[in-house]
Amino acid sequence: MIAHVDVDGRPEPICGMDQWMPAPARILAVQTENFNTRTFRLQFVDPVLREQFRFAPGQFNMLYAPGVGEAAISISSDPARPGVIDHTIRVVGSVTRAVDAAGPGGLVGLRGPFGKPWPMKQMEGHNLVIVAGGIGLAPLRPVIYSILNERDRYRRVVLLYGCRTPEDRLYAHELEQWEDRGAIQVLVTVDNATAAWTGPVGVVTNLLKRLRVSAQETIVLVCGPKILNRVAAWKFLQLHVPPSRVYVSLERNMNCGFGRCGHCQYDKFFVCRDGPVFCFADIADVFAKEEI
Amino acid sequence: MLRAVARRRQRAAASLPNRDAAMKGTTAMVVSHASPGAPRFLPRAALADLVTLLQDEGFTVVGPTVVDGVVMYRPIDSPDDLPHGVNDVQQRGTYRLAEGDPELTFEFASGPDSPKRFLFPPQQQLMQFRVQGEGFEVTAGPPDVPKIALLGVRPCDLAAIRVQDRVFGQDDPATFRCESEPWYEQAREQTLLVAVNCTSPGGNCFCVSWGTGPEAHEGFDLSLTELRDGFICRAGSPRGKELAAKLPLREPTRTELDLAELLMNRACEHMGRALDTASVKELLEQKREDSHWDEVAQRCLSCGNCTMVCPTCFCSTVTDVTDLSGEETTRVRSWESCFTHQFSYTVAGPGRDSLRSRYRHWLRHKLCTWQDQFGVSGCVGCGRCITWCPVGIDITQEVQALRNDSTSLPAPIAPACAFSSEGSPP
Ligand SMILES: Cc1cc2nc3c(=O)[nH]c(=O)nc-3n(C[C@H](O)[C@H](O)[C@H](O)COP(=O)(O)OP(=O)(O)OC[C@H]3O[C@@H](n4cnc5c(N)ncnc54)[C@H](O)[C@@H]3O)c2cc1C
Ligand code: SF4
Ligand code: SF4
Ligand code: FES
Repeated sequence: MIAHVDVDGRPEPICGMDQWMPAPARILAVQTENFNTRTFRLQFVDPVLREQFRFAPGQFNMLYAPGVGEAAISISSDPARPGVIDHTIRVVGSVTRAVDAAGPGGLVGLRGPFGKPWPMKQMEGHNLVIVAGGIGLAPLRPVIYSILNERDRYRRVVLLYGCRTPEDRLYAHELEQWEDRGAIQVLVTVDNATAAWTGPVGVVTNLLKRLRVSAQETIVLVCGPKILNRVAAWKFLQLHVPPSRVYVSLERNMNCGFGRCGHCQYDKFFVCRDGPVFCFADIADVFAKEEI
Repeated sequence: MLRAVARRRQRAAASLPNRDAAMKGTTAMVVSHASPGAPRFLPRAALADLVTLLQDEGFTVVGPTVVDGVVMYRPIDSPDDLPHGVNDVQQRGTYRLAEGDPELTFEFASGPDSPKRFLFPPQQQLMQFRVQGEGFEVTAGPPDVPKIALLGVRPCDLAAIRVQDRVFGQDDPATFRCESEPWYEQAREQTLLVAVNCTSPGGNCFCVSWGTGPEAHEGFDLSLTELRDGFICRAGSPRGKELAAKLPLREPTRTELDLAELLMNRACEHMGRALDTASVKELLEQKREDSHWDEVAQRCLSCGNCTMVCPTCFCSTVTDVTDLSGEETTRVRSWESCFTHQFSYTVAGPGRDSLRSRYRHWLRHKLCTWQDQFGVSGCVGCGRCITWCPVGIDITQEVQALRNDSTSLPAPIAPACAFSSEGSPP
């Protein structure tokens, strides 16, 4: 049987584990991040749920657009302030378009939080390297907030972030703040530079050259497109970071979010329940394989 | 409800073949508190009494009937509706009804239909709701659970129900698996199961390989073994015992008992197929990459028939159906197949694009990863996927081919007596 470690620290989803009924929430504000991505700030209509709702970094909600359907969306806000919930959404299809069209004041629904979070407890006392590509920064932002909230619990923290162009950066304003405060080191690279860009150009894993990684004391968190996940994980293993200290968040098709519909299967795992965050050691034998 | 969950957990724990035993193909049914009562004899004419008795207790009696040339589970009024004198011929990709012994009622094997349809309906409304001011107003829930007595459930299908109990019923919330599904839970509690042991296994059956048949040892309310003049009848639950007490049963004769045993032994020897279940999980753990997957992909049409007829497949998709005004939404859950592109679709494209990967996922899920997920095999040996595959892909042969490490198919397995002295009848 699959061992369900790390279950502690996972908050109980609102409306129980397998209720299909979304809870209504209002869009309080919308912040444009780039040409197709916006951060929606949501709040439950029901004040009791606002009080009850808790989430851990890396968890996701099933976001419901009334009359259209649901999509799995990571929570990108601060877990210490669960009364408002941020979802950073790339507008790509029917559900995400409908949520976008609803705009500020619009009514949506939420089921969640689902999924296994990043290993926050294990990360304490370690150096952290956070590798994100594109929208992959969204599920890592709660990690950064948690680190900033309790900075002494962690040692050196580096964020390596890659995106297409400087204009595509998510949370551009905050990236600068984090860097300026000196709390974490932020390195951003872009595939295509603009005239004003003075930073590095190239794939995010190139940034590794600029780091000295002490293999035994470092925990690595990765979230990005498949190719980034693979290359990043591989590079860190090459640097002798043990597989048990490399964590990757995966995307699969999701329908239920709680391990029942079968859609998100990845070898023996239900990504919605056994992931989306996986310890590399647990998926080492399938990670490099295609179409699992 | 909680008590029901606890009860079901107990039942499932006691009843599931553990992996090692199941994989050795031995009879793994742990005989528990639910061990069947002493055999009694139900005269053939009294089958009608059983149906009437169930109807009087408020059950809709559902049994095998001939519909459009296949055996399907449908509501019946009396035993007259059952397929008397009907046999079936099942081969790879073939199903034909044939004339059987006119004095026998249950001489056929599994048709395309299975009891799964009644506990996990192919399409089901979960709820209906509308946007109402500040929230969603639920206007309807799921349909009421019908009170059904299933007559003629085959032992492999009883095993399949126990497999689905693990999927829908009894996960441990402490491990963040889902809670039991209320509708399934209630349907499972309410549905009465009258098993019929298989005296005439089909051309694609291999329950003996898994130890799930041809005789049911538990998990039923009543079980019947068909003889010419009637049935050996056992009660397998308190509810079954109560029913039995109201039926005109008599002591069976020694000859009748011997005959029933002989029929069961003979059935074991007449499995149409066999699967070498020993270490099949380990085999498939090693065979993530194998040229044989490419070979199957040449034949597989990705039609999904195997998943639709399989009594254990549980994948589903919930969709929202909205009325024209866009106000009233109905959430409907439908069976889904891992053979569709849409099943694994993400914005980056389908997770399993090639046919090879979809067949591989199906086979490995059934025989390998299912055991990691639920502690039990996802195949019970009913043979349906072999019969209903339009190109006759045969799960037992594909495993054999993977074992032989060859890209070509092995010689077909002789359809009869695949298990002779080696077989271990339950
Ligand atoms: C754990 C997890 C976290 C995610 N977090 C974010 C996030 O923070 N921000 C973000 O922008 N995106 C995120 N995604 C991706 C997001 O779920 C998809 O982009 C979204 O489903 C697209 O929905 P749509 O209806 O707008 O797209 P469409 O392209 O219209 O979808 C069409 C169909 O494709 C299917 N589909 C496509 N992708 C997915 C998917 N990943 N899961 C299920 N069905 C899918 C749906 O069934 C849908 O019917 C996440 C995905 C997962 C699994
Ligand atoms: S995999 Fe095939 S033989 Fe096994 S239970 Fe499913 S339909 Fe029956
Ligand atoms: S993944 Fe495929 S084989 Fe497994 S239960 Fe779902 S439909 Fe059946
Ligand atoms: S999304 Fe349904 S099982 Fe994972």
